[in-house]
Amino acid sequence: MTLVKHFKDGRARHAGLAFGLLVLLFACASSAFAQNNQSQGLKMSDLLKLPGKVIAEGANTRPTGKFRAAKYRVEEVALPTATEVKINDRVLSVNKAYRVTVVGGPFEVRAMPAVIWINDTAVGYGVENEDLTEITAVTFDESLIVEGASIFLSYGDKKNKEDRAELPEKLKLGSAKGGRQ
Amino acid sequence: MKKILRLQTIASLAFLLFLTALGAQQAAAQTPDPGTTGPYAVTREEYNYGNLAFTPSNFPSAVELIASVHHPTDMTNGPFPLIVLLHGRHATCYKGTQVSLRWPCLSAQQPIPSYQGYDYLASTLASNGYIVVSISANGISAYDAQVTDLGMQARAELIQRHLNQWNTFNTVGAAPFGTKFVGKVDMTRIGTMGHSRGGEGVVKHYLYNASLGSPYTIRAVFALAPVDFNRPVINNVALAVMLPYCDGDVSDNQGVHFYDDARYTAPGDSGGKNTVLVMGANHNFYNTVWTPGLFPAGASDDWASTTDPHCGTVSGNKRLTSAQQRGTGLAYISAFMRVYVGRETAFLPILTGEAPPPASAQTTNLYVSYHAPDTAATRRDINRLLNATNLSTNTLGGATSAAGLTPQDLCGGESPQPAQCLPSTQSTSRQPHTVPSARSSARGLSQLRTGWGAANTSYSNDLPVGARDVSGFSALQFRVSVNFADSRNPPNIAQNFTVVLTDGTGATSSVRVSDYSGVLYYPPGTTGSVPKVVLNMARLPLSAFAGVNLTDIRSVQFKFDQNLQGALLITDLAFSTAPTTIQ
Repeated sequence: MTLVKHFKDGRARHAGLAFGLLVLLFACASSAFAQNNQSQGLKMSDLLKLPGKVIAEGANTRPTGKFRAAKYRVEEVALPTATEVKINDRVLSVNKAYRVTVVGGPFEVRAMPAVIWINDTAVGYGVENEDLTEITAVTFDESLIVEGASIFLSYGDKKNKEDRAELPEKLKLGSAKGGRQ
Repeated sequence: MKKILRLQTIASLAFLLFLTALGAQQAAAQTPDPGTTGPYAVTREEYNYGNLAFTPSNFPSAVELIASVHHPTDMTNGPFPLIVLLHGRHATCYKGTQVSLRWPCLSAQQPIPSYQGYDYLASTLASNGYIVVSISANGISAYDAQVTDLGMQARAELIQRHLNQWNTFNTVGAAPFGTKFVGKVDMTRIGTMGHSRGGEGVVKHYLYNASLGSPYTIRAVFALAPVDFNRPVINNVALAVMLPYCDGDVSDNQGVHFYDDARYTAPGDSGGKNTVLVMGANHNFYNTVWTPGLFPAGASDDWASTTDPHCGTVSGNKRLTSAQQRGTGLAYISAFMRVYVGRETAFLPILTGEAPPPASAQTTNLYVSYHAPDTAATRRDINRLLNATNLSTNTLGGATSAAGLTPQDLCGGESPQPAQCLPSTQSTSRQPHTVPSARSSARGLSQLRTGWGAANTSYSNDLPVGARDVSGFSALQFRVSVNFADSRNPPNIAQNFTVVLTDGTGATSSVRVSDYSGVLYYPPGTTGSVPKVVLNMARLPLSAFAGVNLTDIRSVQFKFDQNLQGALLITDLAFSTAPTTIQ
């Protein structure tokens, strides 16, 4: 079964990889995937728990801006099995996901979901951790993880760039142990 | 002679205004206040079946089955209607002033009792003869970010689980209440109110209950400052949406979609619909547990920009106090539930806009819109303004014309209309009717985008044969907003125009909108999500149109003759009247 999600607005195409869809995508994943990974039963909660390799991480520890964001962390997550996703209207088989986490807070628990952005692309809706010091979104799109990208946090509409708060540091690959050099 | 005639005209107009004002005063005087304490002494209790007593389907965690109950202490007059309240997403646990988002809480923490934050409403309703249950949903708040629909199905199932419990209380009884409620709950008269994510939760619940064959009869659904992520649409049930203008959380007021989406989707729709836009209100103050000073942890004023002249805290701001804000909730939720669940029709004028806000609302700075049930007796749509055809031919089949207006197009609705009505430089959070939803690609409200910059400009709708007798209706109404993004509207100055009815003899009668409605205000605020365009109802009583034959009205004309220039967004032009009975 192929992931089906269309984003007609080019600005939001990458958002098709957003966290919220992951749940649906994995729920609808191929039968082969399901058969081979029945014990995995991958859902968003699983993606948040899978071990990840930190490939980029900011250093700022002081919460800044209206949302009190301090720094970012990007982790590469090996998936238990390859799965098909749709990226920019192309169906691709991927075996990695990327967790993009904004660290800081404590973040307020809101009705509107948090949105994490890399440059002008909404990575996806975020999930807060229990002590409200981190918000994490997941993407399959490796092309988003680019050196020097700006990272933003906002709440609500994934097309609304007006109300975003930019993190103080740009994305710097290789800045963390185990990162890409 | 001309002078005498002019004086007579002025005198007549003054007398007419006096009579109309008198009428409004009489409506106000005759309409009781739904937010006052009633005759019943009230008992408050709780039930708690455990923090992990219920597992919603496809949800990452079990959740609690906990609720408060307010009911008349003396229940001999039962059965009483049942009102169910559901809070929204908030931190779930606290210790001191620190909060967290987990469920259940750690042993050193206490749960944040968000469900207790509406006790002010529950106690008042109970004193008037209602059983009011407020459900705890912390477990859903803790995990709903991990499911695609952001917890709406889980909320619907949780409400249904509580209703099942109340069915048990009502039939055979159960702990902790024993047989106290047996035969005392009217399970055929139920209303639901949800705040924030709970707002979409109660809408979703209506559909879920229907999918189960409607084991419980939901009469009224009230969404308070709601999200609308998935765009569920409900019909044939009373629906209300309260929109805080200074909402700093659901800052785009996207919940207005519930009303917009439901208007014309079900022919013969029996449900009356309302929006109430509350100026100066934020998201959190409707819940006392979320209000600073009333609970020690996790409470905040969600409106963050202190410098905004309307929503901020600078001198001269128009913010409501938390008590005033709760007043608006108390007044309108009570009115809505008492009309549609309790069939206390005396409060209906508050919902139709015929009567002003009751004293319990503690402010008059709010705007009520009303969409009457879709029956021949209660509503005649002149122009729904849904598609390009409606620019030349209205919903009744009559001709529509514009003179000197530019633009004169439709926006916000289905393609090929532009998705937004304001320029792309304006944030979508300032355009509630068209803001995208998180989990839906549904388009927004189709609106007539119009403006003028010269004399003798007008917009007219002709009434065809068979639609000209409007004498059975009480008002002409439409929804409208001043388009603040159009520079023809001078900042901070209200607009105005004249509505003209013409009858079969050619006689005309004119009414200035500002004489009956304040909806042509210039949207206030300068930061973040304000100013914003919210289309509110202008309700012009037909009694104000003296000198025309209401059994033979040939056209409704908007004459833009009060200001040299301006720009508006308009929809839902209709004749309307309230139903005489409530099912």
